[in-house]
This record gives sequence, structure tokens and C-alpha cells, in this order.
Amino acid sequence: MLARVADSLYWIGRYVERAEHMCRLSDVMLNATLDRSEAAATVARIALSAVGDPDAARTKQPYDAALALALDREDGGSIYSSVARARENARQVRDQITTETWERLNLIYLRMNDPEAAQSFKDGSQQFLHDTIADLHLFKGAGDATMSHGEGWSFLLLGVYLERAQLIGALLEVVFGEGRRRRPISDHFALTNVLRMGCALEPYLRVYTAEMQPRFILQFLTLDEDFPRSIRFCTDQIEQHLSAIIRHAGLAGRVGPDRLAGRLRARLQYADMTDLENEGASAFLKTVLDECSAIHRSLYDAFVAYPLEDRLPA
Amino acid sequence: MDSNVSVKRDEAGPKVDLPAISYDEMLTPQGEVRPHYEALQARLSTLSPDELAERQKTQERFFLLQGITFTVYGAESSTERIIPTDILPRIIPGSEWATIEKGLTQRLQALNMFLADIYSEQQIMMDGVVPRELVLQAPSYRREMQNLYVPHKAYANVCGSDLIRQENGEFAVLEDNLRVPSGVSYMLANREASKRVFPGTFRGAGVRSIDRYPDLLLATLKSMASDWRPDPQVVVLTPGVYNSAYYEHAYLARLMGAPLVEGRDLVVHDNMVYMRTTTGLRRIDVIYRRVDDDFIDPLTFRRDSSLGAAGLFNAYRAGNVVICNAPGTGVADDKAVYAYVPEIIRYYLGEDAVLPNIETYLCREPSQLSHVLANLDKLVVKAVGASGGYGMLVGPHSTRAQQDEFAQALKADPANYIAQPTIQLSTAPCLVDHAVEPRHVDLRPFILSGEKIVVTPGALTRVALRKGSLVVNSSQGGGSKDTWVLSESKGERQ
Repeated sequence: MLARVADSLYWIGRYVERAEHMCRLSDVMLNATLDRSEAAATVARIALSAVGDPDAARTKQPYDAALALALDREDGGSIYSSVARARENARQVRDQITTETWERLNLIYLRMNDPEAAQSFKDGSQQFLHDTIADLHLFKGAGDATMSHGEGWSFLLLGVYLERAQLIGALLEVVFGEGRRRRPISDHFALTNVLRMGCALEPYLRVYTAEMQPRFILQFLTLDEDFPRSIRFCTDQIEQHLSAIIRHAGLAGRVGPDRLAGRLRARLQYADMTDLENEGASAFLKTVLDECSAIHRSLYDAFVAYPLEDRLPA
Repeated sequence: MDSNVSVKRDEAGPKVDLPAISYDEMLTPQGEVRPHYEALQARLSTLSPDELAERQKTQERFFLLQGITFTVYGAESSTERIIPTDILPRIIPGSEWATIEKGLTQRLQALNMFLADIYSEQQIMMDGVVPRELVLQAPSYRREMQNLYVPHKAYANVCGSDLIRQENGEFAVLEDNLRVPSGVSYMLANREASKRVFPGTFRGAGVRSIDRYPDLLLATLKSMASDWRPDPQVVVLTPGVYNSAYYEHAYLARLMGAPLVEGRDLVVHDNMVYMRTTTGLRRIDVIYRRVDDDFIDPLTFRRDSSLGAAGLFNAYRAGNVVICNAPGTGVADDKAVYAYVPEIIRYYLGEDAVLPNIETYLCREPSQLSHVLANLDKLVVKAVGASGGYGMLVGPHSTRAQQDEFAQALKADPANYIAQPTIQLSTAPCLVDHAVEPRHVDLRPFILSGEKIVVTPGALTRVALRKGSLVVNSSQGGGSKDTWVLSESKGERQ
């Protein structure tokens, strides 16, 4: 597979995951702030901090913040920008993506790019966000059902899971990180919404019942083996897809990212809550986020921007 | 005609002095429906204008969703637009197609022989059939191609010729496109769409299939390298996602299963061409390039180009890679060389041209120039080097000032211009604002040549959607529609 194509597929995965996460955060924020409580303000603060916009003034205007987050074309961090970039990458590798998969993504883009998009957001912002999330799921589903699960697919999913691990890590850092002036969040309403931001409420309830314990939430979103949005699950997937790619490329033992991914997976697999608490959530999450970044860089070095001298035919 | 869809002759067109009434694809001059259009007309008469408009909308939606768009770059933002498409197919009976097919095969065969000749012995110039300076001074003539081996003498592997139907109903060649002709994806997409819009009529009509175009293209490309590589690696080279024909490049790559590469993916080392893959460098044997000659290799052609790969042409010269179409094929579709094509066919094949040319005045000849200058209000004047409907004067539709401007340009550089009589392109029924009206159309079939020449039984019909307009180019308000070529036995009165 062309190196440029692999790179684009990887970025499609990242942007699609990012768009979905931000849709969900906005949706949860808008829903929570229908209540005018202290806890609702906390939820807005968490959501906006997790997308990197902790401006206190904006938490007072959750609707405007959500509108900007969704549709601001100038802001490279908006949902619109993520969708547009995912679709632009898809266009560049249009020959590698099945028509069924392409159509789903193009549809989302066309809706967000429509001159009427702002109006339909105003008419029903939660519906708009909900539909976008549902269509992003359809995109992933169409890809899963129609694309070959070979090298390209692994690059796409590597993007998805690396992005997801980092996004969940950043969210947990906002909620559970030490060294913040605020006291730990213990409010039932706020904690429920944190789970919603991770799309984790229902799966959490199956395991821990409706008892909202910060410790359990951190444990579930970090270390759960089966929940697809826990960091541990993501690192499992990262390692699996990476080793599939390396096997396919016949590069076993010659490149670095698989070692990094194996170490990260082991870190999550063998950690327990006591370790995590001894080390401190912030320090633990920082290590995870740093290692994700290192994997990202080494992927690029190994498969996309490798030095030509190494690969010239003898 | 008892139909609730109005089908009318183009009687209210602009008041211009036209040589004759144009041929209508569906109706005879007496207003009767031609036999091969009867089934479609019968179906149309059962559909209300709103139903037709609804189908038109569905088709546009289909194109948009598929991303069959081109990008219009504006001052502040860029928008993607679909190329206008018309849902009513243009229908060509089998017997007429047989003539077209024969004529196109003959023409491309002769043009390939012409290219092989001018890039080697130059016999045709020595025999004085085509003036030497006409060929050697053409901007599209590539000295670098001299004495270079091209397998099967197939220079123009993909050719898209523009045909028009004259007033007398006879098809003629208006232009050959031997460089990087585009539009074949629209031919295929229009077919997909019209199968959805008129499934029953389509099934009953006996339309010949065009589905095999991608694999025939692949076979043609592979045949260009098969004598030295058993299973050649074919790639499609695109200028990138910002090119207006990018959709087509990606589409063909996808349907052929060939990688779509850009210049930045290519590496030339030791006169071999490689692409950068995730597993290292992989050798390339055949490049179906959708990049103009000028841009394929900054070392040989334009130095500021980043769309090709440095050293590509040398690899080609060394015989390690095949570039399709061959560089320098453009000289055979030069608008001045065009005038000689019937002679070229006679010279190499000893036959008369099956498909006639349009009468052409070469302004380089003083006697013809004076005729052109005297008749600027009746003729179409074209710059030899320009394409896409630009650099063109349509006499009957022009103002006095435009004519004066062209007269100046003609006198200053006569060799750069040719002139042709204004041809009334034939008209075909199109859906315009809820009504079926005739609009001018041309016909672009696609011909493949490698080991052998294959004409796909279908074409892109381009439509001048503005009433009375004769310009079908998509850059100037043109659209397209599906073209049904019927199998021999169908649609003809016994």
C-alpha cells in the first residue's frame, strides 16, 4: 500500500473519532445544562476543558459554545473541521475505500457543509449532534462490513484507537487529575454525565450498578478489559493492528512502534487501581498520553516518512 | 402528439443567420418520432413533468453523494459542484454505431502510424503529404520522443474523439483528443444513473454494455509492457485531489484495482520508477498518467512542475517504464494537423476516411486567410493551441468588436488559427425546467489502443444546456447525458 495512502487512512480514523467524541461532549453538555444547577456548570466546564477550551466565560453560554464547536469553519478544532478533514483524506484515497463507506462520510460532510447547517443546528441542536454521531457509527459499520480487513483497515483503526485513547485520557485528566484547585467531583449528576461523555453510562451500570463512585468510573474508563472505550481496550487494539501491519509488511523486528505499543498495552493490562492511586491519576495518564504520542511518531517514521536509503533495492 | 410532456421544435432560438436547420436525434423534420426513440417517448408520455423533475433530482443527488463533482475555486471559498447531467438518454441505432466504430478504429490506427512515422523516419513529411514545418513547429511536438520505441506503435492508448452530427444526419469528427482525454467516468456514471431512472425502458431497448471499459483499459495498459514483464504493475498518475478531473482518476484506479499515485509518491532510481509503499519501494511498469506532457518530468519538460517525477522520462527512454499516453501524442490532435487527417488515413491505409472531417481553413495559407477574414461573421475561428472552448470565435454569435479583435490576431499570427464553417450540432431531447426541449449535443466516444484497438460501445454525450448555444464544454455551461448504443437488431425499422 502506498505510504501516503496509509497515512491518509490513519488520519481518517483519527478525525472521525475526534468528530464523534466532540459531538458527544457537546450533546452531553447541552443536555446537562438544561438544568441550571451548580453540577450542570461543572459538566459544561468538564466538557469544554476536555476539548481544550476551558474559558470560564464560555461555560456560561453552553449553547453558543456548542454551536461554535460544531460548525465554526475557521476553527481547526471544530467538529466541522474534523469531518471536512476526514472527508478530504477520504477523497485523496477514494480508490481505497469502498463506495458504501465513502457515501456515509460524504453524507455527513454534505450536511455539515450545507448553507442550512447552522439553521438546522438551531432548530434542534441535540438532534443534529445525535444524527451526526449515528452517521459516524454508520460510517464505521459500513467500513467494517464492506472493506477488506487488511493493511489499510488496520491503519484506519490504528488512527481510531490512538485518537480514542488520547481523548479518553484527556477527559479523565480533566475529571480525576490532581493538582487542580477544585475539590474532587463527587456529585452524582456530574459523574453520570462524565460517563455519558465516554459513552459509558449503560455499560458501567451493568458492572457497577447505579452507584456512582469516582474510583469505579476511573477504573472502568481506564482499565476495563471489555469496554471499547476504556484506555486498556484501546491499547489492546493498537497493539493488535500494529502487529498485523508489521506482519503484513514483513518488517518484524525491524521497526520501533510495535515495541512501544506492547509496552503500553502491558502497562494497562497489569496495572490495578492501587498502582494507579499510588502513582497518582495525573502521572499515570500523562505516561499513557506520552506513549500514545510516541507511537504516533514512530508509526510515521516506520511506514510513511522512512529514509529512502534504507529501502532501495540492492 | 398526445403527451402531457411538451416536446417542441427549437423554433424560438436566437435570431442568427444559420446555414441550415439542425438534425434532431429524436424527431424527423416532419415531427415524427424516429423508431429507435419510440420506446423512450412512450415512457416519457406516461410521466408528468413533476415526476420527471423528481427523477432529475434523484439523479443529481446520486452524483453528489458519489462525489462526482468538480471544484470551482472562488476568491474566498471553493465549492464543489456536480457536472450538470440530463436524465434523458441519447440513443444511437446499431447500424449508425457500426459506421462510427469502423471510422474511429480506422482513424486511430492511422494517427498512431502517423505518430510512429513523425517520431522516426518522417516519411510522410518527405513525401510532402503533411508540411514539415506544420509538424515540427507544433507546440505539442516533442523532440525528445524521436526514435523512441513504443510497443505496438500505440502512442495514443486512450483517445476521446469529439464527433458531431451534421445537418444531413452524417457524423463527422470535429476534434481528436490524444493527450489526456477525460470524461469516461461521466460516461460510466451516467449509465449507472440512467439504469436507475429508466430501468424498464433500458431493459427493453437492448442497450450495449459499457461495463467492461475499466478492465479493457487495464488490459490495454498491461499490453504495453507485457513483452518484457509478465505481470506488469500499472498505476494511475494524478495531479492530485485539486485537479478538476480527480474524481475520474480515483474512479478508474478503483475500478482497475490499480494504485492511484501522485508525483510525490514516485521515486526514480537507476532509471527505474518506484512508488513509496508502507513496505518500502515497489517497482512500477506502466504509468497511466493523467498529467499533461509538460508536467511529467521537471528534468525533461517544465522545470517548475512538482506533479510528475524527476527522471521519469529517462526511465521511459531506457525502456524501464511505459508512459501512457506517450508524450508528444498531442501533435496528432493539433488543430492544424487535423485538416490533414483524411490525407493521413489515405497515405497509411490506402482508404478513404469513413468519418469525414469538418471543412477546415488553415489561416497559414494566405489564400485561405483572406477567405476567413472576409467571412468572420459566418465561421468558427479556433486558436490551434487552445482547448476547452476557449480562444474561439463563433462568428454568427459574435459582435463586430469581437470580430475585429480576432481579425487583428489572425493577421498578427495566422499560423496559430484555423477556421471552420459554423456547424449546427444535432439536437436531442433534454429535460429543462420541467419540460422536454431540444438542446445541441455532441458525442465523445472512447477508443483504446494497445495490442489492438477497441471502441467502447457507448460515449459521453455532451449537452449545451443553454438554449441555442453550441458550446458543450463543461467549463462553459455544458452538461452531459447517457448514450445508449443499441445492439444491431434493435430499434430499427425492418
